Amino acid sequence: MASSSKARDTQRPQRGAKGSSVSLMDKWRGYKYHHRTTLQNSFAKMLREPLQTLLTVVVIAIALTLPTALYISVENIRQLSGGLESSAQMTVFVKKGARSGAIEKLGEQLDALPGVASVSYISAQAALEEFKALSGFGSALQYLDENPLPEAFLVKPLLLNDSAKLVNEIRQITLVEDVQLDMEWLRRLDALLDMGRKLVLALGAALGIGVILVVGNTIRLAIQSRRDEIVIVKLVGGTDAYVRRPFLYSGLLFGFFGAFIAALMLIGLGLWLEPSVNKLASLYQSQFRLAGLGVGGFIALLGIGGAVGLVGAWISVGQHMRDIKPR
Amino acid sequence: MIRFDNLSKRYSGGLEALRNISFEMDSGEMAFLTGHSGAGKSTLLKLLMLIERPTAGNLLINGKNLNRLSKSRIPFYRRQLGVVFQNHQLLFDRSVFENVALPLQVSGYTPGEIGRRVRAALDGVGLLDREKNNPIELSGGEQQRVGIARAVVHKPKILLADEPTGNLDPQLSEEIMALFKRFQDVGVTVLIATHDIDLINKMNLRIMRLNQGELELDRAAHGIL
Repeated sequence: MASSSKARDTQRPQRGAKGSSVSLMDKWRGYKYHHRTTLQNSFAKMLREPLQTLLTVVVIAIALTLPTALYISVENIRQLSGGLESSAQMTVFVKKGARSGAIEKLGEQLDALPGVASVSYISAQAALEEFKALSGFGSALQYLDENPLPEAFLVKPLLLNDSAKLVNEIRQITLVEDVQLDMEWLRRLDALLDMGRKLVLALGAALGIGVILVVGNTIRLAIQSRRDEIVIVKLVGGTDAYVRRPFLYSGLLFGFFGAFIAALMLIGLGLWLEPSVNKLASLYQSQFRLAGLGVGGFIALLGIGGAVGLVGAWISVGQHMRDIKPR
Repeated sequence: MIRFDNLSKRYSGGLEALRNISFEMDSGEMAFLTGHSGAGKSTLLKLLMLIERPTAGNLLINGKNLNRLSKSRIPFYRRQLGVVFQNHQLLFDRSVFENVALPLQVSGYTPGEIGRRVRAALDGVGLLDREKNNPIELSGGEQQRVGIARAVVHKPKILLADEPTGNLDPQLSEEIMALFKRFQDVGVTVLIATHDIDLINKMNLRIMRLNQGELELDRAAHGIL
């Protein structure tokens, strides 16, 4: 290396103009080197002001933790409700005194309705047997003159959201006495989850803007404290991109570290909640387990954090660089 | 190399800093730019550095009209210049080496090349043993020489100096002028703005004197050396 550069040295003309040209390969190597050192310098500068850096990173972390925690909660509840959704069903009671042929036809009619997943018939006799077995009133029921229970069908809807419409449709059928939707609360939960998801989006957007402002302000201070350097770099021929780069890297790092701390906070939150959730689940005899961020979610969070930090830095640099002369 | 063609500069406040300036400097020529403070020396240098733009007339460098240079090309134009600032404009948050390396870093040189050229430039100004120091630890004259090393490290075609001997004693001033002379010898065009009359009289160089924004005097060096 040393000998080859020496050889080039002797060839180099003493005239200034030609001496300053750089080969394309060297340019690329210089560019890569510049990016690496810029990243290292940005990191070193963050460490040189640990308090300011910590403050910024923690604010970003909190701003990222809140919507992410809400998102994870909504996802967990949705998973939980997904297990219940399959058991959502309605009971269709048949009018007293309907003939067996008509009942059979009703069954076919219900099965043919759009949005119905399955229909099963429970005869009055079978219902009574079940009631006897489960209720413990078996002997008392013997004194009844006739079976008080109606013939019934269990109808499972394909989609929970369609069930209300389905109930209305079935009520129109003449042979039907009444329809009971067992899972009314599930639909409410679903609506609530829908709201929760929108809340996640709104909160995420609001706090995302917060992160952009926090990063922007930190970058603004950094630009102000490095004003002299920017001026000199520009005067010796630094491009705008060159001047911007260290600040963009800082923004990226702030967002990235903020997201990393946010992930740690979420893991902590998960560990803290897990025993209570497990206890609750066991009380309901549920196999439910709290789902965390996951590897994909972790990477996504880091990506989002970095991107938001970068955007904040970009906006701030664009605004404050214009104030510095020469342009 | 440098050609001012009927150039005027009026600041937005109404002050007319330069009026109908025309002169030419050949490649490898060295000249003094003199005049009272406020005569327009700094404005003229700022126009050359493209910190300011002329309000009328043309400024041609190497045959290219700077008025037609787009904003994105300005950095690449500035890389052809070396500038020695009045207050040397060194950064005190980094070593002498890193200060001098700055023009090479922005042009994308490799670390090996940067090390070689920076040391060559520091050697040229006699400060090779100070590369690891912070400029704040150096004397005024040494700081000025670091500034000169930074101005020439990328081998510019044009060297501009704004009061380079501003607050230096006569002996140091002469040393610095000898340095400039060496760059001229290798083909660099050197323009030195100064009002140091003693220095001007001591050196046999072309003199351009500005007065209230006008080129009052343009005197060639006497005799052929």
